[in-house]
Amino acid sequence: ILDDPDLKDIDPLVLKHCHAAAATCILEAGKHRADISAISTCLEDCKLDKERIEQFCTEYQKNKDALEILLGSIGRSPLHITDVSWRLEYQIKNNQLHKTYQPSYLVTLNVEKSDSGSHTDVSFSCTMEQLQDLVGKLKDAAKSLERATQM
Amino acid sequence: CALFKGKLNIDVDTIQHGVEGLMYLLTESSKLMISEIDFQDSIHALGFSEELNKSLLQLYLDNRKEIRSILGELSPRLPSYHSLEWRLDVQLASRSLRQQIKPAVTMKLHLNQNEDHTARVLQTDPATLLHLIQQLEQALGEMKTNHCRRIVRNMK
Repeated sequence: ILDDPDLKDIDPLVLKHCHAAAATCILEAGKHRADISAISTCLEDCKLDKERIEQFCTEYQKNKDALEILLGSIGRSPLHITDVSWRLEYQIKNNQLHKTYQPSYLVTLNVEKSDSGSHTDVSFSCTMEQLQDLVGKLKDAAKSLERATQM
Repeated sequence: CALFKGKLNIDVDTIQHGVEGLMYLLTESSKLMISEIDFQDSIHALGFSEELNKSLLQLYLDNRKEIRSILGELSPRLPSYHSLEWRLDVQLASRSLRQQIKPAVTMKLHLNQNEDHTARVLQTDPATLLHLIQQLEQALGEMKTNHCRRIVRNMK
């Protein structure tokens, strides 16, 4: 905003204060999921005139959802799985053991760290039985989720 | 070795070589999974007595499976799956946003690697969970396809 031609006549310091104040107001409103009447009341207490309050509230309403999504995504959480890749292989031999004849799966869970956005994937191998165990457990979790949403 | 030396009156080096030779014979045979006939033919060249050959063959057959499973542990491996624990969570609020209802599945994936047991804590959302299940079920289905069955059959 310091580079905006429309605002060049205003003292940069005042501009910064206004920006910070507006940002704080918006973030606090978003954080507490304040509704329009609460925001209006707050702004009235700050001695803003009706027209300005209305403009502010309209703009806020337009961007409310995006704001809440953004605020909701801030924060620490365990590594979040975003996708999975798998590979099925049939092992024939290795230098220690010949004629192994074993199918095995290589599963990679693509993981996204919430703050840095980098990926630190988790890879592991498993037999068919182990994969069945894993899928079984995931299905149990999904069933529990379904039951929980019906409560 | 010293104990045997006393009892059999053979020197230590000979015993050591004997043991190492036996080890090599058994591990190589187990590694290659050679048949009885091939084993017998191989040791015949060593010129031992018929009785000794029989004992060696029996030793091979008795211990082959165990030796192979030990050799199997030496191959290069990735961490392997051990088990999975899971838990359903609902996030109600955070420092940056109040009044949320954010369901999540938190999991503890237990993996083994060469005797080390690690546990990773991971999380996912309901939509991704269903996607994971679908993808992994497809993976399981692959083993049952004609293509895989044909390969397994022909590679024995």
